[in-house]
Amino acid sequence: MATKTEELSVVGKNWTRLDGANKASGRSIFADDVRLPGMLYGKVVRSPYPYARIVSIDASAAEALPGVKAVILPEDAKGIWIGINQPLLAQDKATYVGHDIAAVAALDEETAARAASLIKIEYEKLPEVTSIKQALADDTPLLHAKAKGNVAWEQEFSWGDPDASFAACDQIREEEFVTYPSHNCYAEFHVAIADFTQAGKLTMWTPTQSALMFQKGLAAAFKLPDSDVRMLTLNTGGGFSGRVSPRPHHFLAALLSRKSGRPVRIRASGDEEFIMCRAGGKVIYRLKSGTTKEGRLKVIEADLLFDTGAYIESQMIVTILTSSYLNALYKIDSSRYRGRLIHTNHLPYYFHHGGGIAQFQFALGQHIDGLARDIGMDPVEFSLLNAVEKDYTTLHDSYYASCGLKECIEKTAEKAGWKDKYGKLPKYKGIGLGIGAMASGAKGVFKHDTSAAFIKITDDGLASLSIGLPDMGQSSHTAMAIIAGEVLGITPDDIRVVSGDTDSDPLDVGAFTQRGTFNTGNAVKNACQDARDQLAKVAAAKLGVDAEQLVFRNHQIYPDGEPDKAIEFKQLAFDTLHSQEGRFVMGRGFYNSPLEKGTMAYSFGAQIAEVSVDPGTGVVTVEKVTAAHDVGRALNPRIVEGQIDGQVFSAMSQVLYEECVMEDGQVMNPSRLDYKMPRAFEMPEVEHIIVETIDPNGPFGAKEVGEGPIVCTMQAIANAVTDAIGKPIKDMPLTPWRVLRHIND
Amino acid sequence: MSKQIITLTVNGHPHEIAIETHHTLLDVLRNELGMTGTKRGCTAGSCGVCTVNGDAGEAICSCLSLAIEWDGRSVTTIEGVQEGSELHPIQAAFLEYGAVQCGFCTPGLIMTTKSLLDFNTSPSEEEINETLAGAICRCTGHIKVKKAVRKAAEMLREREAG
Repeated sequence: MATKTEELSVVGKNWTRLDGANKASGRSIFADDVRLPGMLYGKVVRSPYPYARIVSIDASAAEALPGVKAVILPEDAKGIWIGINQPLLAQDKATYVGHDIAAVAALDEETAARAASLIKIEYEKLPEVTSIKQALADDTPLLHAKAKGNVAWEQEFSWGDPDASFAACDQIREEEFVTYPSHNCYAEFHVAIADFTQAGKLTMWTPTQSALMFQKGLAAAFKLPDSDVRMLTLNTGGGFSGRVSPRPHHFLAALLSRKSGRPVRIRASGDEEFIMCRAGGKVIYRLKSGTTKEGRLKVIEADLLFDTGAYIESQMIVTILTSSYLNALYKIDSSRYRGRLIHTNHLPYYFHHGGGIAQFQFALGQHIDGLARDIGMDPVEFSLLNAVEKDYTTLHDSYYASCGLKECIEKTAEKAGWKDKYGKLPKYKGIGLGIGAMASGAKGVFKHDTSAAFIKITDDGLASLSIGLPDMGQSSHTAMAIIAGEVLGITPDDIRVVSGDTDSDPLDVGAFTQRGTFNTGNAVKNACQDARDQLAKVAAAKLGVDAEQLVFRNHQIYPDGEPDKAIEFKQLAFDTLHSQEGRFVMGRGFYNSPLEKGTMAYSFGAQIAEVSVDPGTGVVTVEKVTAAHDVGRALNPRIVEGQIDGQVFSAMSQVLYEECVMEDGQVMNPSRLDYKMPRAFEMPEVEHIIVETIDPNGPFGAKEVGEGPIVCTMQAIANAVTDAIGKPIKDMPLTPWRVLRHIND
Repeated sequence: MSKQIITLTVNGHPHEIAIETHHTLLDVLRNELGMTGTKRGCTAGSCGVCTVNGDAGEAICSCLSLAIEWDGRSVTTIEGVQEGSELHPIQAAFLEYGAVQCGFCTPGLIMTTKSLLDFNTSPSEEEINETLAGAICRCTGHIKVKKAVRKAAEMLREREAG
């Protein structure tokens, strides 16, 4: 049921985040701030070689060092599996630089580091495979016997009849794009504190996007019931698609704790941060599409090659996700997708910020822009002509109950002055369009995509809302309090959001696939409706009316149209408990999409970037980004703007600067001094246009805004650079040397 | 390694502390004094997360400064910014303008901002940019942070004007 804006009293206003004062005054606790009595400090020994046989390991000097309390060697980790078929520690061969081989725990970080350096490992170097091309060559040895041709996994989809569609096209464009490895670069470095000192009970403090995924991963590895792994999520210092599931250091901290009988903390130092975990790896995108001369886009074909590293970590999910985005934006007749994961001697790659979808859109957005140019059409016109709309069903069977894509394109084009600028700017100035779609949740990781919530109403008229959704900065806890406040007619600051302990939190799949606002939001709405029904029953009896007639608004409950009969919320909560019945109000609710898989709602967006390029240095300056986003409904508008800003930053950072520069399997720039991100002075002005399409299934019409913006920015900036220099650059980041090379070619 | 005794004044309170000479100001604040408001980031001076203010109110990367050098001196940390239980205008502006997201870099950003606004409540755009150049905030992309700094400056000017 859609609700008119004027009927809402809490949703849509600017609310300060509930945890803001603590975060701004140093009172917020993060995992690295936790110090447990007797806690030890762990350090991991990792392979310096991309591919080597482990001949021998001598840990005697480390074990003899005073202050060392536990040493873990490959045989101690036998039978512990992480990711897909990856032993926790390298058993016979190290298959990538950074492959974990041993770990130590000691009284302090210095002693642990010293002990790690005393573990002598003799290696026999093997010839490494460090590129997709090399891995696929006929004479390259296999990294895993089962992965024929070093293809770890392959998946193909086809919708409609692509060959027939291509045959009916007047213009076909075919080209290749490349993106490189990146790092999620959260402010808070990787850290895990494990307490495995009680047999069969593991407690862990770590930043996470999904306590459930961590709990399940750790429980499976240590053969425990899920509930005997207690995840304590404090504040999470940024997620950016990089903290969805446990990584080797989480398992190692647990193992060291079990062996030493003391809690253990493992925390990454500056260069370790880049060696132990990275985001996505190199991806090659071969794209082909066709249109009629009138600009009817008919077919898109994509063939993607992913460097998945020595094992498969998350890249299967990335291929599944990217495939669905072929069909998400344009009304096409058919499409074809192939994704292949290729093994190399790189670390098992994870998710880029943007989940691989933003990076795919970098390629697809430029490709479609190019196709429009091929037939002499303005990209804005071309996009509008082919854009999906409300009530459209995609080729992969996603129904759009709401869709503001056209409105986003029109509004951003108008605000940015597209018509006056496109094709009319002086040389080395450019303007570019980027459009995107993003699912609110993606059922498929589990059979369900459930979030649950509890709310208790105390006799002082306040409430505690329990959820299992982590807040890693996106202000989701405040958003949930806004939804709760709207249902109950109270304000977000009346509500304590309680979360971060799997012993007590209701189930939540977590804060990934942009499912929080939609799924947990609906769960919270359902729980609060349950509590409201309980209160309404008491109020209805007092007022002598039907419970259905009651309005909950501005801390009052009254029959619709009769605010003079209002009971104060606080009084009602008090009277409900303090009566002979002694009712205590607790609402419960959950939400799970009724679909078999996929998503109930997509957000849409369009951004226009304006850039200037210095032809002497190749430096790209982003001058302005105009961003229009259909978020269904903005629950907290200023926070929505903040989400857009942060994603413009991250996308600009990835498209212009960020790259883990790889050479012979090594990261050449493993520090935040050498791995560049934009500084304050490099940021453009960002103009926000929030488009509200009030999704019929979203809580108060809301859809995600967690990754919708990032999928638009990379292509917008890349298209603007193409417009500025007159040539497309098909690999990112668009660093000065790449831009110069193209200018001077 | 023998320990050295230093006297370090933090937020106006003197502390006599036994330290290792290779420990940084950040180590001592967090591990010896238990003041975890100052966060540990890259420990290489590239992210600005651990910023505190020194004797003269200047921004210091506490990860790069040896504690032994701070004997007899004073620092202000994020825990010393609030005025009693009230937020300082910089903190209030950060909240109001949505400049706080994950919050990990927020203490450092606030101390960085304070090192500017304590001396100049009418900073130019260039001065704000230059001040913030030592910090990285992936969540906000610095955009709301810059707006918050301008708003805080305005609040502080109003306060000066009485």
